[in-house]
Amino acid sequence: MALVFLIARAVQRFVRENLFLFVGAGAGVAFVERLGIRELLLFAAVVLAAVVVGAVIHHRRFRFRVEDDAVRVRRGVFEHKELRVRFSRVQNVQLGQPVYFRPFDLVQFSLETPGAAEREVELPGIPRRLAEEMRDRILGARREAVGEAGAEGPADPAVPPGFPGPVVPGGETAAASLLHAPGIARVFLHGLSSNQVWLIAGVLVYVLDLGVRQGADSTVVEQLLGWLERQATAGWSVLLLLAVGVFSVLLVAAGLAALLRYHPYRLQDHGSRLVGSGGVLERREQTLRRDKLTGAVLKQSPVGRVLGCWTLAGLQTRSDGRGDEVGQRSFLVPGLGAGDLDLVGKLYPGARMPEGFEPIHRRYRVWLLSRGFALALAILALLASSLGRGHGAVLLMTLSLVVLPPLVWLRWRQWGWSIDGPMFWLRRGLLGQRLEAFELARVQQVQVRSSPYQRRHGLVTLVLVLPQGLVQVPFLPEALAAQLANRALFAAETARQHRL
Amino acid sequence: MSPDTQAGGFANRAVAAQALPDFRSVPLEPVAPAYRPYAVIAAGLGWLAPAGAGLVAWFGARAGLLPGTVAVVALGALVLMTALALLGMVFAALDASRRRWALREHDLIYRSGVLWHRSVIVPFARIQHVETVSGPLERRFGLTRLKCYTAGGAGGDLTVAGLHGETAGRLRQYLLERIRDGEDEAPEVEGPRLASPGDDD
Repeated sequence: MALVFLIARAVQRFVRENLFLFVGAGAGVAFVERLGIRELLLFAAVVLAAVVVGAVIHHRRFRFRVEDDAVRVRRGVFEHKELRVRFSRVQNVQLGQPVYFRPFDLVQFSLETPGAAEREVELPGIPRRLAEEMRDRILGARREAVGEAGAEGPADPAVPPGFPGPVVPGGETAAASLLHAPGIARVFLHGLSSNQVWLIAGVLVYVLDLGVRQGADSTVVEQLLGWLERQATAGWSVLLLLAVGVFSVLLVAAGLAALLRYHPYRLQDHGSRLVGSGGVLERREQTLRRDKLTGAVLKQSPVGRVLGCWTLAGLQTRSDGRGDEVGQRSFLVPGLGAGDLDLVGKLYPGARMPEGFEPIHRRYRVWLLSRGFALALAILALLASSLGRGHGAVLLMTLSLVVLPPLVWLRWRQWGWSIDGPMFWLRRGLLGQRLEAFELARVQQVQVRSSPYQRRHGLVTLVLVLPQGLVQVPFLPEALAAQLANRALFAAETARQHRL
Repeated sequence: MSPDTQAGGFANRAVAAQALPDFRSVPLEPVAPAYRPYAVIAAGLGWLAPAGAGLVAWFGARAGLLPGTVAVVALGALVLMTALALLGMVFAALDASRRRWALREHDLIYRSGVLWHRSVIVPFARIQHVETVSGPLERRFGLTRLKCYTAGGAGGDLTVAGLHGETAGRLRQYLLERIRDGEDEAPEVEGPRLASPGDDD
């Protein structure tokens, strides 16, 4: 079993390294061309050997142990590291099963605590049963774990005979209820509306660029370019059609990417924890402790607004304090339709989509517009003096002066806040929108800031520091902001302890 | 906004917004008087060091050790740096007189800023840990900074600059005790009552 594990780990490491090499390939192309194929193979063999040796050492050094109330990990190739994480500190657990792990029934196990900037404990490649057992013990099923016999995990990740059969998730809360299971179409739409389109477009441009540069002599590229040139002379309509075609291919690719990432998505409610799972190639399962949830976000991209597509995210304490929900680690629930918005209350109890939002002060428009114009004019003057008046960039910049006022208005209109009992809602955005809900009692710090311009008009910016990051409400009347601040402080100071 | 709503079966005691203790009504105490000279000197030193270099270069050029063009540049730099130093010192003095703080029963208030004003209120129950820091120049003036860390990343710490060393020490001790108390038992308070202002322990 350990051998299988070793191979899987080496493969995994190799894939990672490969990915890295692939990215570097662009710069290396010219270099590689000068070398013969034999040198290249030799180089590859050396790299492979280094990777394998590194993986073997890493594996040999890697030890973990599950205790009554904590997990202990020792690892490190050059620098030895030993850490112990108490279960009660853990805020979420993730299990991932890449496709090449499946035949061996292995999973990647990782967990996160509030203080860590990155995943603190990552066990790459342990048997699925052990991982599920650990997950259940860590999150929720703590009480029964104390009396259990085999409380010690093996250093060698072979399944000890004492483990029970198929683990019923979460013992005490066996009755899990399905909260959300978007269909293929919904997940596809999620892909369309996510920013993945631009990511894929970027990769495509990069690859095409590489192809053009490397294959300058290749006839295919030349033919393609020649054809493009002929089309361009033929008329704009063909070119436009081509652009639309490329864009729709991109959209489909983004939709498919979302399907691959999420497809049989299930959000389940196990009482004290929430489980989101899905993924075609890599099956992922995120388990979140509900009492470690510090907020929720409903998000819509500009495309998503057209398609009526929402994304829900659960927020937890972050040490980088950026307060957003991008990246692999965040708990994203994809594919919500306009009718699924009450899901936010099921994820984060007490959060109900408010009927209306209070606007911020009108002065915000004046302020933003004047700043925007000043910046745009400065750039314009700089461009015009350096490039000459007729340059395309100058024209584009002049055009932006026309677009600015409506954008400022949209931005202002998106700002809005609302209070619903203990819950505070903040809406912001430009073309898309982002609605964040959190309990005022979770506030860590309240700041009231004001610039000279704001003070002249009796306005301030209210800043609430939350475990997941800063939340700013700009341009509130001073008395109102003070009232909100007082409420937040009152809520925080009379709340039962919210230890993180 | 209606403060007395109920959400999701969660009964919330109605509190009239006007009845809540107002952080603005707390009389704030200025920071230690020694902070102003300290801040002025600290601001001045930053600019005066290059100004000093300019002065040396100027004298060097006058004595014929350095070419004549250096003298012009050095003089320009000297004037500019001195002007900036003076400006910085005036600004620091203003800034020092704007810094105020107060302790309430359940939180710490700190106000600062000359052009961009900023009031920060940190509930004791949210402080993760406290530390006191003092640099060599600060120690000369008997000053100490108090740093309070809360969750929420980079924006999550408050530095109270310009406290007497003794005050800062007592304050830190008090805060640590409050944090420990908070861990032991959930506070059962009807609402935060105002402590006498400037009561630093």
